[in-house]
Parts: sequence; structure tokens; C-alpha cells
Amino acid sequence: MKSKRDEVIGGSILFLFGGITAILSLRMPIGDFRAAGTGMFPLILGVLLMVLSGLFVAQRLRDRTVTGAEKKEAETPVSVKQLLMFLGVTMAAVAGFTTMGFPLMSFLLMLLLLRSLGIKGWAFLLSVSLLTAASSYALFVYLLKIPLPKGLVGI
Amino acid sequence: MLESLQLLFEGFAVATTAVNLSYCLIGAIVGTLVGILPGLGPIAGIALLVPVTFGLNPTTALIMLAGIYYGSMYGGSTTSILLNVPGETASVITCIDGYQMAQRGKAGAALALCAIGSFIAGTLAIMGLVFLAPPLAEAALAFGPAEYFSLMVCGFVVLSNVTGTSLLKSLMMAIVGLIIGTVGLDPVTGDARFAFDTAYLLGGIEFVAVAIGLFGIGEILSNVERPQELLRQQVIVPRLKDLYPTLLDLKRSIGAILRGAGIGFGVGLVPGPAPVIATYASYLVEKRTSRHPEEFGKGAVEGVAGPEAANNAACQAAFIPLFVLGIPFAPPTAILLGALLIHGVMPGPMMISERPEVFWGVVASMYIGNFILLLLNLPFVPLFANILRIPKRVLLPLVMLFCITGMYTVNNSIPDIWVMLLFGVIGYTMRKWAYEGAPLLLALVLGPKLEVAFRQALMISHGDFGVFFERPISLTFLVATSLFLFFPLLRGAIRKWRAQQAPR
Repeated sequence: MKSKRDEVIGGSILFLFGGITAILSLRMPIGDFRAAGTGMFPLILGVLLMVLSGLFVAQRLRDRTVTGAEKKEAETPVSVKQLLMFLGVTMAAVAGFTTMGFPLMSFLLMLLLLRSLGIKGWAFLLSVSLLTAASSYALFVYLLKIPLPKGLVGI
Repeated sequence: MLESLQLLFEGFAVATTAVNLSYCLIGAIVGTLVGILPGLGPIAGIALLVPVTFGLNPTTALIMLAGIYYGSMYGGSTTSILLNVPGETASVITCIDGYQMAQRGKAGAALALCAIGSFIAGTLAIMGLVFLAPPLAEAALAFGPAEYFSLMVCGFVVLSNVTGTSLLKSLMMAIVGLIIGTVGLDPVTGDARFAFDTAYLLGGIEFVAVAIGLFGIGEILSNVERPQELLRQQVIVPRLKDLYPTLLDLKRSIGAILRGAGIGFGVGLVPGPAPVIATYASYLVEKRTSRHPEEFGKGAVEGVAGPEAANNAACQAAFIPLFVLGIPFAPPTAILLGALLIHGVMPGPMMISERPEVFWGVVASMYIGNFILLLLNLPFVPLFANILRIPKRVLLPLVMLFCITGMYTVNNSIPDIWVMLLFGVIGYTMRKWAYEGAPLLLALVLGPKLEVAFRQALMISHGDFGVFFERPISLTFLVATSLFLFFPLLRGAIRKWRAQQAPR
């Protein structure tokens, strides 16, 4: 079981999602049960999600018990900085995928992700990144004949 | 029965062509690796390899993808025994006694028992599939839209009931999956829905992106945030000559393997993460029926052989609802359904008669695949154990690169990668907040089918909801649904009442 605050936030997000779905569905033809329109099914789902998530949030707000899970979770060391760096590097690589091309993107992605996870020693970093980029290029482009963006490198 | 055997022999003719044998071998090897590598389970593994099958014929494609699924069950036990870290969820229970056996110098014997148990159980389950699928397919011809709708609703509720810690949370995830499944074109009228005037969303949300995002990227991100998880772990590498269990070990295991096969096959036929449930059920049965219950938790051979046999049998049995009804009961088979549809094969009651080469070819390949896996998993265990020595800090970027490239190759589309990353972040958050991804993914794949069945049933009955209750098969599924829905509530209420009544 997660902390009460997390549970309430999670439930509220789902309630909001259900609400938005229901509102957007109402803009589409609803029809009747004999000939359901485009919006009928998502409308039912949106309302159902609102009901269930509302029930869930109410349940959690009423629940006064405190579990040890939250305390244990707090004891687990978490590196948010490492996570954000890893995600940031990945997003930058995807954004530059077409421009850079697959070989360069895969090399830089490996290099920076390995670095973001704390691997030091440039010789190791460069050799692993180069080896990965070359072998993945051989696998996808030569062996599987999958057309990948060529980009700046042009291969 | 004789007809089934004859058709199975014809299936062997299909499965033993050089191309199909090669892809069966590739599937088995990739599956073993997927099972071994923590962070890459069968769902993400199969989803990643779907694009690779685009140039293949449907039978060959399914032979490879199915091989990955059941191969991962073999591989999953390796990390459980050597590292005390399950390669995938169906191998969690193997950690208990498998790692203890490894600590006592019996790692090789434990791995061999897993491989032998998986082989026997897998082979028995395929025999069940051969003889049970054709009559079930005939029975399924009586299914109309109402029956299909009720069956799918029942499937969602059962799956929600057995996954995660909260029924309500899992049900909400199933509904979110159904909502995401409505994005794109209305399957009945063809009108645009939630597309926001973009061409990309008209095609709907790519289920492969959701699968890799939730189960692949989500897992990678969860690992990245835990620095201590990235440290190099001690791996016990068994020697080849130690890979033979003693006669006593084999004698003690055989009963557990056969019971595990039966349990796994039964559980595989019902909705839910069958391999996971089957391992727990088998472990409990073995512990209760054992003459040495005190050995459980300290390296009991039955505690390894039984659950490993069960997860393999469950995995093979899960193909029955997929092939016969066209309805997957678990996320890995949902991905396989998606792959079948991409290849133009419509699974369902007519599949066996309309596409016999696909059905019997795949079934026959499972026999061959099991044999390949037995051969692979015994002599190559030391090699696989060495793969585990690769530090996670190197492995995680590799898997990320493979996810990005694999996702791009599905439609040659960058937006698909963004969708995958978005669902990766959602998957990571869901893990943190203890929401299950399985109901969401299954609902996303089955959503359009469910909607069509719902609307067709109501169209036929002129808007009368009685159609779902008047037809006996549909009513049976709905009764089962309400039992699964209300039983946990009732149980919770009784527990609360008992706690209040108990003397303080």
C-alpha cells in the first residue's frame, strides 16, 4: 500500500481523466442504445472511471490507518538527479534522431547514458559506445534491412 | 483425436522447414535472454521483436514470437537461482528454494531440474492444446456478440482481481486502457474520435508503444533511480559437470513436475497472469503434500521443479483462449494477438479450419521449441550465467537503445517513440503508486473488440440490455463476473466484522 497522499493524488488524476473523457465524448454523437453513436462508449467509460476513482479517493480519505510501507519507502535511497539526467539524455537523443542519424544517435546515446549512470574512464565509455553503435547498425541495417535515419553521417 | 494427430503431423511438416526451424531457434534464444535479463520481461521482449517479423510469413512470425514467450519462462529461472533476482515475475517463487540450492553448491542441479521440469510440463501442455483446442473452437462457434462481450468483461474483472493489491485500482487501469483504445477511428461508423485534428492520432495509439513504454521503459526508469541496484552483483557460475541432478533429486521432482503441469495447464485457461499464479499455486501444493515440508525455504527440490513446470504449462495453455476465442487472457498473448492481426491472421473459432498451417505449424513448433530449450538450457547455463555478470549500468542504456530503435522500426515513426517514452514515464509512476500495467494493456488491445461486441449486441436486441442476460453462455460469464467482483468485497467485510468482534 502506498502513502495516503500518493493514493489521493493518483485517484484524483484518474477522476480528472475520466471527467475530461466524458466531456469530450459529449461533443460527439451519442445516439441511443439501439444505434449507439461514436461518443456513447467513451462516455460510459469516462463516467465509470469517475465513479470508481471517486469511490477510491473517498475510501482513502476515510482510511486512517498508517502502514509501514511509507516509512520503508523513505529509507530506500532514490537518485532523482540520475533519473532526470537519464531521461533528459534519452529525450534529447530522440529529438535529434532524424537530424543526427542512427549511427551517431546510438553512439551519443550510449556514451551519455553510461556517463549519467556514473561510469567513468573515457577509454571504456568510448569503446563500449562505439562497439554498441557499430553492432546495432550491423544488426538493424545490414542484417534485418531496416531503413533507419541516415542524418549527418549519411550511412 | 486421430484427426488432431494427423493435423499435428502436417504441422510438423510446416514447423520443420529450414526457415521455421531457424526462427524457432532464434525465438528460443531471445526468449531465454529476455528471461535472464532483469528489466526486460516477456511483454516488452515480444513487443520489441514484433517489427522484426514484418518481412516474415505469419506462421514463421508467430513461431518466433511464441518461442520468445515460452523461452522466457526457461530463462527466468536462471537469475532466480544464480542471483536470487527473478528475471521475470513468474520466477519469483523459484528464488526461495532455487537460490538456497545454489548456496549449497547445487546450482547446476537446480537449473537442470528447472529445464527438465519445464520441458516435461511444456510438452504435456501442448498435448492438451492439441486435443482441447479443436472441440473448444467448435463450441465457440455458438458465441455471438453478447457472449463475446460478457466473456471479455469477465476476463477484465478476473485479471483485475488477481493482479496487484487493489481490485479497484486494477479495474480503473482496465477502464483507462479501454479509453485509450477508443482513440482513432470509431470501429463501427469510421468517425474520428479524440484525434484532435491530427493525422497521427487517427490511426489510434500504437499498442506496441504502450507495451514497451509501460513494461520496458518503466522498468528501466525504476532501476535507474535506485543507485544501489546498479552495483555489480555476485553471480554463482555452475560448472558443466555439476549440471546433473542426483537420482534422488529426480525421483523427488517427478511428482512435483506432473502436479505443476496439471496446475499450470488449468490456470493457463483462465484470465490473469497465469504463469505467476500457477507458480504460487504449485509451490503451496508441494509444500502441503511434501513429506519434508521443513526443507521448503531451505532448498527443497520440489519447490523448484513444481513451480517451474507450472509456469511453463500455464504459458503454453494460454495459447488456447487466444487461438480458439481470439481473446487473450494475459498481456503477452495480447501482444501476440496484435502481431497476428498485423500479419492478417484473425484468431478465433475459425482459425483452425481457415488457417490450419498457422495453428498446427505453431503448435508443432512448440514441441520443437521445448526440445531446443532443453538442449540450450543445460549445456549453455555457464554461458548465460556469464551474461549476468554484465553490470546493470551497462545493460540499462543498451536496453534503452534497443527500445528506441525497435519502436522506430514498427512504423518508421518518431512520434511513436515519444508515445513510448510518455508511457514509460506513466509506467514508472504507476509502479511507484502500485498500479498494475497488465489490465491497461489487455484492455487497450481488446477495447475495440469489446466496443464492437457491445454495440452489435445492442443493435441486434434493439437496445434491450436483456440480450446479455437471456443467453445462457453470456449469463454464465456475467454471473462469474459478479462473483469475482463481489467476493473480495464480501471477504473484506467479513474480515472487518471478525476483527471488530474479536476480544481485545
